[in-house]
Amino acid sequence: MDVQLKRGLLDVCVLAAIKSEDSYGYQIIKEMKPYIELSESTLYTILKRLESADQITVRSVEHEGRLRKYYHITDVGLSRLDEFKEDWKEILSIYDFITREDIGNE
Amino acid sequence: MNREKFISELREKLYGLSQSDIDERVEFYSEMINDRMEDGLSEEEAVAEIGSVDGIVEQIMSEIPITALVKEKVKPKRKLKAWEIVLLVLGSPVWLPLAASAVVVLLSLYIVVWAVVICFYAVAAALAGSALGCIVGIFAYLRMGRPAQALFAGGAAVLCAGLAILMFVFCVWLSKAVVKGTGKVLLGIKKSFVGKGE
Repeated sequence: MDVQLKRGLLDVCVLAAIKSEDSYGYQIIKEMKPYIELSESTLYTILKRLESADQITVRSVEHEGRLRKYYHITDVGLSRLDEFKEDWKEILSIYDFITREDIGNE
Repeated sequence: MNREKFISELREKLYGLSQSDIDERVEFYSEMINDRMEDGLSEEEAVAEIGSVDGIVEQIMSEIPITALVKEKVKPKRKLKAWEIVLLVLGSPVWLPLAASAVVVLLSLYIVVWAVVICFYAVAAALAGSALGCIVGIFAYLRMGRPAQALFAGGAAVLCAGLAILMFVFCVWLSKAVVKGTGKVLLGIKKSFVGKGE
């Protein structure tokens, strides 16, 4: 997949992964694995970016005698997800247009 | 590699970043390894899944702006004593021009490289121009009733056009190579800011 396209998608994927309930790093990676491959280093950068954009908040929770960071989606993050869905509708209609042209030519 | 070794190697290779930044990154990877082990992986397997330390450091370096690295490097590790500040100020006529010239030298190297690239583009443009000139020549000679010379001009036009296209393809390739090369040099410079004993 195109690098730029993947980069934009990954942000939204991480937001989607923590949408229904707060989650932690490894859980996010595991959840996304069937759909899109994500390395630890990439996830770290994405989480940092989302945090500084106020789209997520972080809290440390004690787990098995150590600390684990849980990520929570904010209202800003939720509206970013909604925006993405709206944008995607447009992209889908463009996709329909492109593939229709293909069929016409074949 | 076990967790302990992975963490200490990562710490060592990131030395040069701010302490809080290193701590936070190390904590993140440490949590990742712990969670994998809790998931049933052995310590070795968990570390192996995270990837090589060098790979991680390289990715971090490609994302961090060079200004942040320089800032961290020149930031004194402790509060400066009064005499050190005086010395710094008094010494500024010496170290300031030196630092400035180092930056300027690097910048001019960069400009020189692109100047060479532009020269190649100029050659390509000149060849394209010659091709057009030769085409004009064909008609001029035909008008004068000299078919042999017109034929010669035609051949020259084809030759110049061909060379121009080849040259242009080469220029595009060269530009891409230069962009890629400067990226690598920049990554190298950034890497030189971190790590112990390097």
